[in-house]
Amino acid sequence: MLSRLTRAAVVLLATVLAAPIHAQEGHPLKGSWIGVWESNKDAGDDVLMVLNWDGKTISGIINPGTDNMKIANATLDPIGWKVHIEADGKNKAGAAVHYVIDGTLKDLELPSRSVTGTWQSQSGKGKFDVRRQ
Amino acid sequence: MTYNQKRNRRNWWIGAAGIAALLLGSTAAWAHHEIAGKFDLSKTVDLTGVVTYVDWRNPHVHVFVNVRTGKELLNWAIELESPTILEMDGWNRNNLRPGDAIAVKGPRARDGSRQVWGGDQVRFTETGLPVFPAKLHPSQAATTSRPAPRGPDGHPALGGLTPAAEGYWTDPSQTSLVEDGVNVKADEWGLLANPADADKVAPMQPWALGVYRHRQERQLRDDPMYLSCKPPGGPRQYQSRLGVEFVEDRARQRIFVLMGSGNHNYRIVYMDQNRKTGLVTGDDDNPLYFGRSSGKWDGDTLVVDTIGFNEDFWFTNGGLPHTSQLHLVERFTRSDFDTLRYQVQVDDPGAYTRSWSASWTMKWNGGTVPFYFCQNNRP
Repeated sequence: MLSRLTRAAVVLLATVLAAPIHAQEGHPLKGSWIGVWESNKDAGDDVLMVLNWDGKTISGIINPGTDNMKIANATLDPIGWKVHIEADGKNKAGAAVHYVIDGTLKDLELPSRSVTGTWQSQSGKGKFDVRRQ
Repeated sequence: MTYNQKRNRRNWWIGAAGIAALLLGSTAAWAHHEIAGKFDLSKTVDLTGVVTYVDWRNPHVHVFVNVRTGKELLNWAIELESPTILEMDGWNRNNLRPGDAIAVKGPRARDGSRQVWGGDQVRFTETGLPVFPAKLHPSQAATTSRPAPRGPDGHPALGGLTPAAEGYWTDPSQTSLVEDGVNVKADEWGLLANPADADKVAPMQPWALGVYRHRQERQLRDDPMYLSCKPPGGPRQYQSRLGVEFVEDRARQRIFVLMGSGNHNYRIVYMDQNRKTGLVTGDDDNPLYFGRSSGKWDGDTLVVDTIGFNEDFWFTNGGLPHTSQLHLVERFTRSDFDTLRYQVQVDDPGAYTRSWSASWTMKWNGGTVPFYFCQNNRP
C-alpha cells in the first residue's frame, strides 16, 4: 500500500510540476530563470537569474543572495533570438570574476522558454542552460 | 510476482499515466481560437455523412458525422462557431438532428485528426441548403440617425438609461489594433493577410516586432485568451462581436464595462479621479488584466486613463506585445444613438518607440450583452 501511495505521490508531483507556469507575454527575457552552468568551480553548477526590462535595458542579478552577481550588460537580438549576458562576481578567494554568457532563446511562445549556450570566465567555460520559471 | 500482480501493476501505471495526461491536456486544450491556428486552410476535405450527435456547447459547437470511406465508417467532428454567435444569427441546437444527411467542405485539423472547420460550409445533402452560416461581420442596415440619449448629468448615456432600454455595443468596424492611417489587412482574429506588413502595424521596438512576427507565423495559436481563457484586457475588449455593455453607477461615481467575450469579465472605471489601489483592485505588486482606470468627461467624450496592467495576456487580437509600462488613454464618444466611436492612445515605452493611436466604431444593439464563457474543455 505504501508503495502505491508513493507512486501516486510521484505521479501527482510530476503532473503539478509539468503544469504550465506563470504566463509572461511581455519582454521574453523578463522573469526568473533556473538551470545549470556546467563545470563552474567558482559558483557551482546550479544557476539562478532574475532579469528585468525597463524599455531600454535588460538588467538583473545572477544567484541572488550572498554571492549575487549584478548583470553589467545584456542584449537580446530578435534575429535568431541571440542572448548575450555579462556579469561580474567574485570567486571563493574574493578575486573578481567576469562572466560572459552567449546563448539562444528557444520556445519563445512558452512561459517556460529556455536559453541554451555557453558561459566562460577567467576560471573556465562550459555549457549554459536555463529555463524560465 | 504473479502474472496477475504484473498485470495489475501495469494497469495501475497505465491508469496513472492516463490521469496525468488528462490533467496536463486540460491545461493546453484549445478553446475559441484563430481558425488557421488549428486548421490548415490549404488542406480542404469534402465530407458527406450522417449526423450522429450535435454538441451545442461553448466555446465551439461540434457536429459529429459518420462518413463512409471505402469499407470503413469513420466518425468526424465538424467544428462550428460558438453557440452564442450562432444563436445571435438565429440558429439553435435543433436545426440539425442525428440522422440528418449533410455535406461539408472545409479545412482539416493540422494535427491530422478527423476534425474539420465547418464555418458556413455545412449543407443538407437533400436540399443543398446551408446550415449554421454565422455572420461574423453582419452588415448594418442604414438607419435614420437618432441623437444619443443623455443621462441626468447631461452627458451622453453609454448604456441603457432604463432596463427596458438596455443595450450593448457590438460589430466593431475593426477587430485588430492597427495604427491610425496605416492600411493593412487582417482577418477576424488579427492574422495579417500579408506577413510582410508586420512592421507597419505599430511602431514596435525590435524585440516586440520579433515577438509579434513569431505569433503571426504560428497563426496565433499561442493566444492565451484561447489557450487558457485569459481576459481580453485593453482595447481587445472592444474587438469582439460579442460586445460590451456599459452600466453607469452615478451614485458611486463608477462605470462598469461588462464584456460578452473572454470569460464574461468586467472592468470598473472610477469617475471620482481616485484611481483605486490595493490588493484587490491592483497596485504595483498586483498588476491587473484590466489595469486601474480613472475616467472623466471631456465635453461629450468619456476619457479613461488606465495603468497597472500585468503582462499575462494579449491586449489585442493579432498578438501585439505589451509590457507592464502600458498606459492607455481611451476616448468613448457616442456620436448618435447607434454609434460609439472608440479611440485609444497606446503609450508603452517598454514595447513601442513612441505613442500611437487607433480607432474604430461600434454599433448599438438592443438587449443584454451575450452570455458567453470561454471553456477550456475542447480539443
